[in-house]
Amino acid sequence: MRKALPKFGLNFFCLLVYIFLAAPIVVVLFSSLTTTEYIVFPPKGLTLRWYTELVNHPEFMQSFMLSIGVAFGTAIISTVIGTMSSIAVVRYQFRGKTAIMQLVGSPLLIPTVVFGVALLQFYSWIGLATSPAALVIGHIILTIPFVMRLVVASLVGFDRSIEQAAMNLGAGSMRVFFQITLPIIKSGVIAGAIFAFITSFDDLTVALFIVSTDVVTLPVRIFTYMQYQYDPIITSVSSIVILLTVVLMVVIERVLGVGKVFESKNE
Amino acid sequence: MSYLCLENVVKTFNKTEVVKKMNLEIKQGELVSFLGPSGCGKTTTLNMIAGFLEVDGGKIVVDGKPVHLLPPNKREMGMVFQNYALFPHMTVFENVAYGLKLRKVSKDEIKSRVAEALEMVRLTGYEKRYPRELSGGQQQRVSLARALVIKPKVLLLDEPLSNLDAKLRQEMREEIVDIQKRVGITTIFVTHDQEEALAISDRIAVMYEGRIEQLDTPVEIYNHPQTDFVSRFIGEVNQVQGKVVKTLNNQESLVSFYGYEQILTRHLAKNSVIDFYIRPEKIHISLEPNDGIVVKVDRKMFLGAKTRYILHNKENKHIIADIPNTVLNPDHVQEGKDVSIQWNSEDLLATKK
Ligand SMILES: Nc1ncnc2c1ncn2[C@@H]1O[C@H](COP(=O)(O)OP(=O)(O)OP(=O)(O)O)[C@@H](O)[C@H]1O
Ligand SMILES: [Mg+2]
Repeated sequence: MRKALPKFGLNFFCLLVYIFLAAPIVVVLFSSLTTTEYIVFPPKGLTLRWYTELVNHPEFMQSFMLSIGVAFGTAIISTVIGTMSSIAVVRYQFRGKTAIMQLVGSPLLIPTVVFGVALLQFYSWIGLATSPAALVIGHIILTIPFVMRLVVASLVGFDRSIEQAAMNLGAGSMRVFFQITLPIIKSGVIAGAIFAFITSFDDLTVALFIVSTDVVTLPVRIFTYMQYQYDPIITSVSSIVILLTVVLMVVIERVLGVGKVFESKNE
Repeated sequence: MSYLCLENVVKTFNKTEVVKKMNLEIKQGELVSFLGPSGCGKTTTLNMIAGFLEVDGGKIVVDGKPVHLLPPNKREMGMVFQNYALFPHMTVFENVAYGLKLRKVSKDEIKSRVAEALEMVRLTGYEKRYPRELSGGQQQRVSLARALVIKPKVLLLDEPLSNLDAKLRQEMREEIVDIQKRVGITTIFVTHDQEEALAISDRIAVMYEGRIEQLDTPVEIYNHPQTDFVSRFIGEVNQVQGKVVKTLNNQESLVSFYGYEQILTRHLAKNSVIDFYIRPEKIHISLEPNDGIVVKVDRKMFLGAKTRYILHNKENKHIIADIPNTVLNPDHVQEGKDVSIQWNSEDLLATKK
């Protein structure tokens, strides 16, 4: 009984934190159902009007597809590069290794705004026009540190004799990588890919510097729309994104188990 | 005709020679142990044979063909690692089947050969388990099955038992020898446990600082160590000093050990002082005074079947003697009292550098 009280206190505290974290999401979801012409919480009346209204705004759909595409491209490329670099950094000694580690860590320290400005400068200097590809490159730079952190974590403590055992049984280095190494560090790699995807999909700051009239990602679209109008369309778009995220998480959970994915250590 | 040959094999790490011009010949079906202190190059040598490390000089020949330039996946060696190195994401069946799949063996044959291998290591019924669901001993048996199922030319074991507890270790080592003899596979077994090496090996290669000090049967290694290092490393020894009193003829000399005179069958220069080793169990204790070297009993330790006596003589030379309790009842020996010790001259081990 003496132990029950602190446990109750802890649980209560956790509950408060969860409420605090979840509140904005709930607010957005509910506000999207309002009948009013402006955003209000709690909603007045209930309607799905702001969802059907989206049909009149194909630009949101376009932006959504663009964002998905950019996020996918970013996640795939940055996971591949990040994983390979992690292996190099963890397993080999070479000159400039520390420098690379520092460089890789720097985007985590530099404010994204600064990075956006730098990227804009750089692109105009080399004459790279605004394009989804330019955005993907920017996002790759932004997300590789995340991927590397997670993959490096799953590589540290990796028992290399497992790879030797596979070689010993007759596997060449390609086979060893795809059949042994990759499956074992899988959780770190997938977590890295998810982080890269979400970071890219979510990014407003860098995208703001790179967008043009025909390359507008969803966060930028929402942001610019809000500067002129403040109607519940914003909340319905956001709600759809939230729901999609939830679906994505559930699918990943079903297929891999999120718990496992976010454990950076292999079992 | 030897099956596995190392000829002048050299390995250098950062300019230090870790394995120095090593020569070794192992016959087909033989079990040879590498025994030596930590850091003497056992793992390095094994890794060169397996192909995980390149040789910096010399040749490795298996069955008449040089293999030292082949990558590890082309050498057809079976390796069992200290920490088992099972594939954590594969079941026991998949682990054992892995090498066969790479060899494009048909599904049916894989099934029957895996079943056979698992039966050999007494793990039938564990096919669907993952490595983390097995005990250490079971994991090591899977690892053995995985190595043997591909019918390798040579089986390499790097301290395969050192992560197991003492009892299981003994069981497993008997099991390994049993399987090794049944399959008839040429085997190298790395260990730094001398009892293990003595118990299971056909021959032992005692290694020290990158060289093989002596390669011999366990009995020879124990009874006739050829170098100073081997004498001290295998078993326990007392160091005793003898002064040559006179040379009797070409083959015999009279030597005095702390006043106890004994004829040795070797030619030694008069008045020279020579170090010998004598094993604790080769010392005899007599309760009569003046029946050999007189020593005082410092302490006695009951060790089950035998008792260990810690003794010192009047020159304060410490000597350990192990006597079976059936030979000498420890109750008859009092701590603090004088007794006499002696030994047979042929049990003395010469110290050669
Ligand atoms: N990759 C390496 N780089 C540099 N030195 C190494 C390397 N691997 C081993 N050594 C050195 O080579 C020597 C022999 O090492 P090795 O692992 O073969 O010893 P061992 O006999 O297996 O010892 P243990 O009983 O502790 O396993 C040691 O001094 C070790 O420090
Ligand atoms: Mg070793």
